[in-house]
Amino acid sequence: MSGRPKPRPAEARLRRLLVMLPWLMERGEVTVAEAAERFALTEDDVVRDLELAAMCGLPPFVDELIDVFVDDGVIVVGVPRLFTRPLRLNAVEAFELLAAGRAAMELPGADASGPLGRGLAKLATALGEDDTSGVRIELDRPDIADRLVAAASANEELAIDYWTASRDETTERRIVPRQVFADRGEWYVSADDDRSGEVRTFRVDRILRAAPTGRTVVPSDAPLPTPGTWFADESVRRAVLRLSPAAVWVLERYPHDDDVSAPDADGWVTARLPVASEQWLVRTMLRLGPEARLVEPGDLRDVVTAAAGRVLARYRDSRS
Amino acid sequence: MADRVERLTNLLALLLETREPLSLVAIADEMTGQYPDGESARRAAFERDKAALRDIGVPIEQEIMSGGPSAGQTRYWIDRARYEMRGLELDGDEARALQVAMAATRPGSTSGQEALWKLGAGLLDRSAPVSAVLPDLPALPLLRDAVARRTSVALRYRDLDRTVDPWGLVLRDGFWYLVAFDQSRGERRTFRIDRIEGDVRVLDGTSFERPEGFDPREAVPTDPKMIGATDVVPDARVLIDAVRAPAAVAELGEHRVVARHADGSVEVDVPCANVPAFRSWVLGFLEHAEVLSPEEIRDDVVAWLEAVGR
Repeated sequence: MSGRPKPRPAEARLRRLLVMLPWLMERGEVTVAEAAERFALTEDDVVRDLELAAMCGLPPFVDELIDVFVDDGVIVVGVPRLFTRPLRLNAVEAFELLAAGRAAMELPGADASGPLGRGLAKLATALGEDDTSGVRIELDRPDIADRLVAAASANEELAIDYWTASRDETTERRIVPRQVFADRGEWYVSADDDRSGEVRTFRVDRILRAAPTGRTVVPSDAPLPTPGTWFADESVRRAVLRLSPAAVWVLERYPHDDDVSAPDADGWVTARLPVASEQWLVRTMLRLGPEARLVEPGDLRDVVTAAAGRVLARYRDSRS
Repeated sequence: MADRVERLTNLLALLLETREPLSLVAIADEMTGQYPDGESARRAAFERDKAALRDIGVPIEQEIMSGGPSAGQTRYWIDRARYEMRGLELDGDEARALQVAMAATRPGSTSGQEALWKLGAGLLDRSAPVSAVLPDLPALPLLRDAVARRTSVALRYRDLDRTVDPWGLVLRDGFWYLVAFDQSRGERRTFRIDRIEGDVRVLDGTSFERPEGFDPREAVPTDPKMIGATDVVPDARVLIDAVRAPAAVAELGEHRVVARHADGSVEVDVPCANVPAFRSWVLGFLEHAEVLSPEEIRDDVVAWLEAVGR
């Protein structure tokens, strides 16, 4: 949907046509521009596909199957006979809708008796879900998350105490929250941050205190990271790890590059992971213990060994 | 030769409109000039079209004639009741609410967009002030379907082929779990869906009863340190220094604190039913935490650290 238009495959065109036709039939008259925007097509594509649909038909009903024409930028649909209703949802679409709706019910501000709750109940019935036990979504959040969401919608500035894992220190900063999101079991807030003067993403559970400063601030227009991809940044340095079968959970939990090797005879794989902070890598390597090897970079290998040494020293010293 | 979209649309219309199942010869007759004349070329073109229609979700029925002059011949049709979406009439605000929900949780999903269009909703907005990233696994739609239809599935987990009755799916702590009755083991099991090996197969024709009042949330342990727990869960005593003490107490709860020292450190009792999960938790504190007892767990952590980087 971006860049140079490519020829659209027949299946994609038909699929779009089958959702566009019922919508047009219900309305009777729609501008080409509105249809194009709604269905993410160019106006030329809309006109071409509708003109083609108008030609469809079988003897003796040629020209009667889909009574549609385009006149001066307006689509006019006559008495509908076929394709008045969309195709039923397939299994993937059904799951996407149900999961999205159930997840949204777990977000701050959701209202079970509101439109989402009602729509979701109808959807569940239509999909044969006789109760909500079939698909449960939990996005447990720290209490402070709701405070952050409220601040984001009111452009409120907050003073926070934040524990930075990579430096193991607590700092005080002023932030203007802009988006709050859950990813891989954790909650994050992206905010304009006065200390760095940039948009920063913070782990919500590491915000030890958040208090309004009383100021309302117009948020910056700096781009926000996209949840789900925000830490798979190209510019972040990579570590190459060898992982045993007992350690491959790391690849499920953390972002990694696509070039994971095939397992060797013992089931070990080699993978490349972005290192958001040295401290994260150190923690992960200690957790993996003998189940992982850090191949590159060499300097971080020394950092990991030193960290293991510090923890071990603590155990030795306490019993000496 | 007609445009492929035109031919597909005509084939779809013909199979929807027909009063009786049609053979390929009859279909080619009706759609004059749209399929090649040669028998094998015609069959190949038709098979491609049939696959394309099925791929976008069109249910094409088929039957094989068993007697009479056309015995062995396959005939096709589409059952309109199975083709059309029915029984889901959403009000405008309900469809919009689902659209917002999709934008907040599956912003880039093409299937999600397709689903919204079918519901009469519009284009998926790609930004939402509050959102959640849901892990995407190919087995999920099929498992949901099997849960709703009470159909057993075959899957491979921890090197064992199993037949299970899927009772429910739970997303917890960023992972999808399947709670199911494992027929091969004769008991309920919880499976991490991303660790299922290979494809999940639906065993059509099977069915099962799910226990009354079942709630999958109760079946999945909340705390990984509790997985494998029996009635009596052993505790491990951990000393956490002043730097990390507030965060640890906030996580575990005040009732886990057994001693507070003048230097700001705390001693806490931590449930430890699952040693790897416990070890992972305690090592997350680096040198800010130390296992005091029991001795065998302390030794385990020391041995683990000694093996780092070896």
